[in-house]
Amino acid sequence: MKIAKILIANRGEIAIRIMKTAKMMGIRTVAIRTAVEPAAMYLSFADEVFDNSEDESEIPVFLNVEKLIAIALKSGANAVHPGYGFLAESAYFAQKCLDNNIIYIGPSPDAIYKMGNKTIARRLALKSGIPMAMGSEGNISDEEEAVRIADKIGYPVIIKAASGGGGRGMRIVRKAEEMERMFTIASKEAEKAFNDPSVFIEKYIENPKHIEFQILGDSKGNIIHLGERECSIQRKHQKLLEEAPSCALDAGLRKKMGEMAVRIAKAVDYSSAGTVEFLLDSERNFYFMEMNTRIQVEHPVTEVITGIDLVEQQIRIANGETLKLKQEDIKLRGWAIECRINAEDVQAGFAPSPGKIEKISMPSDNYVRVDTGIQEGSAIVSSYDSMIAKLIVSGKDRKEAIRNCKMALDKVWIKGTKTTLPFFRLLVRNQKFIDGSFTTAFIEKDLDKYYFYSDYEEMLAAWLATRLFVDENLQETNTSRDAANSSEMSPWLLNKRITQF
Amino acid sequence: MNDTPKIDKLYALSSEKKKFSFRLPLSNRIRIGKRNYVVQLKGDEKYGTYILWKNRRYPVEIVRSRQNKYEILFNDISYTFTVETPFSLQRMKVLSSGKGKAEKELIKAPMPGKIIDVPAREGSTILRGETVVILEAMKMQNEILSPVNGKIVRVNAKAGTNVMKDDVLAEIKVE
Repeated sequence: MKIAKILIANRGEIAIRIMKTAKMMGIRTVAIRTAVEPAAMYLSFADEVFDNSEDESEIPVFLNVEKLIAIALKSGANAVHPGYGFLAESAYFAQKCLDNNIIYIGPSPDAIYKMGNKTIARRLALKSGIPMAMGSEGNISDEEEAVRIADKIGYPVIIKAASGGGGRGMRIVRKAEEMERMFTIASKEAEKAFNDPSVFIEKYIENPKHIEFQILGDSKGNIIHLGERECSIQRKHQKLLEEAPSCALDAGLRKKMGEMAVRIAKAVDYSSAGTVEFLLDSERNFYFMEMNTRIQVEHPVTEVITGIDLVEQQIRIANGETLKLKQEDIKLRGWAIECRINAEDVQAGFAPSPGKIEKISMPSDNYVRVDTGIQEGSAIVSSYDSMIAKLIVSGKDRKEAIRNCKMALDKVWIKGTKTTLPFFRLLVRNQKFIDGSFTTAFIEKDLDKYYFYSDYEEMLAAWLATRLFVDENLQETNTSRDAANSSEMSPWLLNKRITQF
Repeated sequence: MNDTPKIDKLYALSSEKKKFSFRLPLSNRIRIGKRNYVVQLKGDEKYGTYILWKNRRYPVEIVRSRQNKYEILFNDISYTFTVETPFSLQRMKVLSSGKGKAEKELIKAPMPGKIIDVPAREGSTILRGETVVILEAMKMQNEILSPVNGKIVRVNAKAGTNVMKDDVLAEIKVE
C-alpha cells in the first residue's frame, strides 16, 4: 500500500508545512475544521476539509484518537501525519492507526513507547554505551531512596518524570534537605501532566548547552544523522531560538555525537525522522537526555543547511522506501537561525498574550523562510499554543545569519497582540549570544531584561502620548466651552490650529 | 474670566520617572543633535497605525488612555506616560517633596470645566463623602467628593477658574 491521501492530525503552521510537501509529492491531504478555528489558514491548503466544527467537546479533536481514526476512515485517507505536539508521541495512537490499516507517518509504536518512557530510554542508552549523566537505574520509589542515590552521585541532581517532556515534572535539588519537598512536587506534577507519578534522578549538569541531532532511519535498518541543532536559548525548558549548526561543535565532536545519536536510534530500530537530545558541558562532555520521536518545531533550520525536506523523507520512509541518503551525502552548508515569534508579553515574563492578529506581514528576502499558520484576522486562541510564526533566517556563516536575522526582525510587522519580537531584537545584539558562549541558563542568568530597548523609541512613544494629550484636551475643553466667548481661546486650541495633524 | 496660564511646554513622564519635554505648539520635528527629524503619525490599510521616523515604520497602538495617563505600544513594547504641564509638574514636585510619609489623597478634576464653588478650606478636616469642589462641565454641576477622611492641607481650586482634566484641585492628608 502506497500513501495516496494523508489525514493531517494537526493544525497551524505544521499542518501547512506537511501539506505543502504532500502537494509537491502529488499526495492528497485532508485537514480538520474545528469549532475553535473554523476559518483557520491551514484549511485552505488542504485538498479536502473534514468539518468537525459541530464537535464542541472540551478536548481538542487532535487529541481524540478514536475520532481521528474515524475521520481518517470516513475521508478515505490511508495515512496520518501527527505533526508535533498533540498525539505526535502517542504509541497508542500509532498502534490504532496500524490496527485500522492506516499508515502512521512516524516511527513504530514500540519505538515511541520505549523512547517516551524515560527510564526505559535510559536503560537502553546505558546498554548501548551512550554517555549519560549518572543517576538512578530506574524509577525511584521515595525520597529516602532519592537521597541515597544523590549522596552517591553528588549534588546537584535533577528529578525527572519517567513519562515526562517539555520541562514538566522536573526539579533541581541542590542539597539533601530539599529532597523531600522537591520529590513530592515533581511526582505530583508528573501525575497531573502525564498520568504517571514515577520519577527518576540524574546528576544535574550545570549550565550546559542543549545540542540535538536530527536522525533519519528507514524500515530496513539504515540510520543516518543530519547534523545538530543548538537550542540553548530557552526559558523554563521552552525553546525560543534554535540554530544549525552549533558553534560549540567541531567536525570531530559532531562525528562522535552523531554516531552516538545513530546508535541510540538503532537500539529501537528507529524508522522515520527523530531527534536525539544531548546536554554538552563546558568540558565538551556530552550526555544523552532524550529522544523525540516526531518532527520537531525547529526542523526547518536543519532543512535549510542540508537542503533535505524532512517531511518528504518521513513520507518516503513510511511508504517503505529505502533511504537514498548516505551519511557521506550529508553536507552542512551555511547557517540557519529560527526565531519563534509567539503571542507572548516579554514585559510580563512571557505570559501568553492571546488576541486577534490585525495585521501581519513577514519579510520576503531570499535569506528568509517563514513557516506560519496565521494570517490577518486569525485569532491566537488560548486552547492552542501561542505561536504566530517561525522566522527562519540563513547566512553563509553564523555572523551573516545573525546580521540577516537582525534585519529580518525589523521587517516583521504584527499588530493585534504582543509578541516575542522585542526579545529577539535584544538577543541578536547581545554579546554573549553573538560570541556563542551562552548556555541554557542564559535567559535566567545573563539577561537583566527580556526585551530590546532604545532611547529613540521611548522618546517617540513619549511624543505620541503628548500628541494625544494635546488633541484630547483640546477637544474636551472645546466642548465644555461651547457657550463661552470665543475670545477665551485656550492655548490648546491655538496649538491645534497651528499644528496640522 | 479665564486665567488659564500660558502653557509653553508639556512633559511626558515615564513610569520610571524619565522626563521627555516637548515645546508647544507641539511640532512634528524632533531635534537630535544638530538635525531635525520629522516624526509622522500615519495609518493605512496595509500597516494599520504607525509612526514614520527616519524612513522607518514603527507599529504603534494606543492601549489605554485615562485622564493624562497613556499606555502606548511602540514597536511591540509598552510604555506608560503621564503628560504634565509645567504647572501640574510643579504641583507634583511640591506635593511629593512634602512630609512624604503621611498618606496623601490628591483630588483631581475628572474632566475639564469651570470651578463654581470651593466649600473645602485649607486646614479644616473633611469626612469621606463631603464636597471638596463643585465643577461645572457640559452645563452640569458636579460635586467632587472626598474619598477619604482627613485634613485638607492644600486647596488649588479657585471659584470662577477653568481647570483641565486631571488638574489637582486639593490635597487631603489621610487620617
